[in-house]
Amino acid sequence: MIKLEFEHRQAGHCENGVTSNLLNYHQYKISEPMVFGIGAGLFFSYLPFMKMQHAPTTTFRVWPGMIFDRLTKELGIQTVILKFRDPRESMTKLNEVLDQGYPVGLQVGTYNLTFFPPEYRMHYNMHNMVVYGYDHETYFVSDTLMEKLVEISYEDLMRVRYAKGTFAPMGRMYYPTYVPKEINLKPAIINGIYKTANNMVGVPFFPLIGVKGIRYLARQMRKWEKKLGPEKASYYLGQVLRMEEEVGTAGAGFRFIYGAFLDEASRVLNQEWLKELSIEMGENANKWREFSYYGSRNCKKRGKADQSYDFLADMLMDCADREEKIFKKLAKIK
Amino acid sequence: MDEKPNPVYKDERYGQSRELSYSYDKTGNYEKTVGFHGEPDRVIIQQAWDHFNERITEAKEKVLAGKVSPIAYYMEKNLVDTLSLSMLAGISIWRVKWHFRPRVFNRLKTKTLEKYASAFNITVEELKKVE
Repeated sequence: MIKLEFEHRQAGHCENGVTSNLLNYHQYKISEPMVFGIGAGLFFSYLPFMKMQHAPTTTFRVWPGMIFDRLTKELGIQTVILKFRDPRESMTKLNEVLDQGYPVGLQVGTYNLTFFPPEYRMHYNMHNMVVYGYDHETYFVSDTLMEKLVEISYEDLMRVRYAKGTFAPMGRMYYPTYVPKEINLKPAIINGIYKTANNMVGVPFFPLIGVKGIRYLARQMRKWEKKLGPEKASYYLGQVLRMEEEVGTAGAGFRFIYGAFLDEASRVLNQEWLKELSIEMGENANKWREFSYYGSRNCKKRGKADQSYDFLADMLMDCADREEKIFKKLAKIK
Repeated sequence: MDEKPNPVYKDERYGQSRELSYSYDKTGNYEKTVGFHGEPDRVIIQQAWDHFNERITEAKEKVLAGKVSPIAYYMEKNLVDTLSLSMLAGISIWRVKWHFRPRVFNRLKTKTLEKYASAFNITVEELKKVE
């Protein structure tokens, strides 16, 4: 039996929380917004050709696993990232690593996750959690969504690690092995901000990514009711809102976390203008939140829209304008 | 964030966990709060479950009327689509769609049925009928 002394802290987003908690175990304190900012997690993309739960996908973050990869690379932290074909082999390797004394981050699907709140148990393969010990057939798990530490059995853990569908995790496991004594945050923060700004306003031609993607979504949204009928249009809108609010984004599609990051970055870098931008980002996040509030009223009426799609699309356009202004300023960071 | 569960959810087991979320106030401070979901968030989650339950009942009626095979019902019940099902069972997506026809389904080999049964985590006997 192995049970490491792992400090469990709740977090707004699973991957940030896992990364921050894993580094905390190696005696390196880093906050959740900082992880998100340096990992350049903020993103927007609308993918109408990729259906998830019978509706087009809208994503507010980069591909799963990318935040951890980028952060550790920027800070010079040594890591091990593994994928397996054979489920049994992956479980044996997990036990071996735990025996060596490293807590391990895992990418899992949420459908068969027994301890998860039942309302979230849909097929979603981008969830992350930490395993910090095992006892025969029981594994001890720290999940940043939950308030307390939880447990899961061998069979269930194997099933969630090999969930199928879009973004299948393939038993992906990752853990840091060595953290350098002195870490210089400043260049890492500047790189992270630059990458995010480039993702949001710097991608040429392709209309589905970043600020252009938000505008594209808004334009499509105006046509939904005519094209799809009230029922389906309402469900599509609900899907956008679920991706924005529910899948562990800590509210308003990560805009709150990013604002908190800019606030912290202004103190680390000693640059006052970042503080001003963090205030603008906070107002922008509140606008997104308002959008989801009015959107949910539309969903509640099930098609008899008292908040029309034009009204909602105008709100999205407003958000896009605000973000374009913010990220164009951020792209000039030195 | 509300203090306690409110009646938007139709299932009693829903909405019991408290989560962390960030918020921003006008003075320029970001705050972390731990609490239950507010009403707008509950509405959109309940909408998804309404959608799934509707599809499940629809599929069940179709199976009982003899229009599709039970595979279609179990697929909806497990909240997957044809692509995920083909990955789970290890059968190509076109064959999965072909097996939705009742006549084809009735002639399937036990080996194929076992693949579907293990994908849905049930026995072959359960797969052949809809409860």
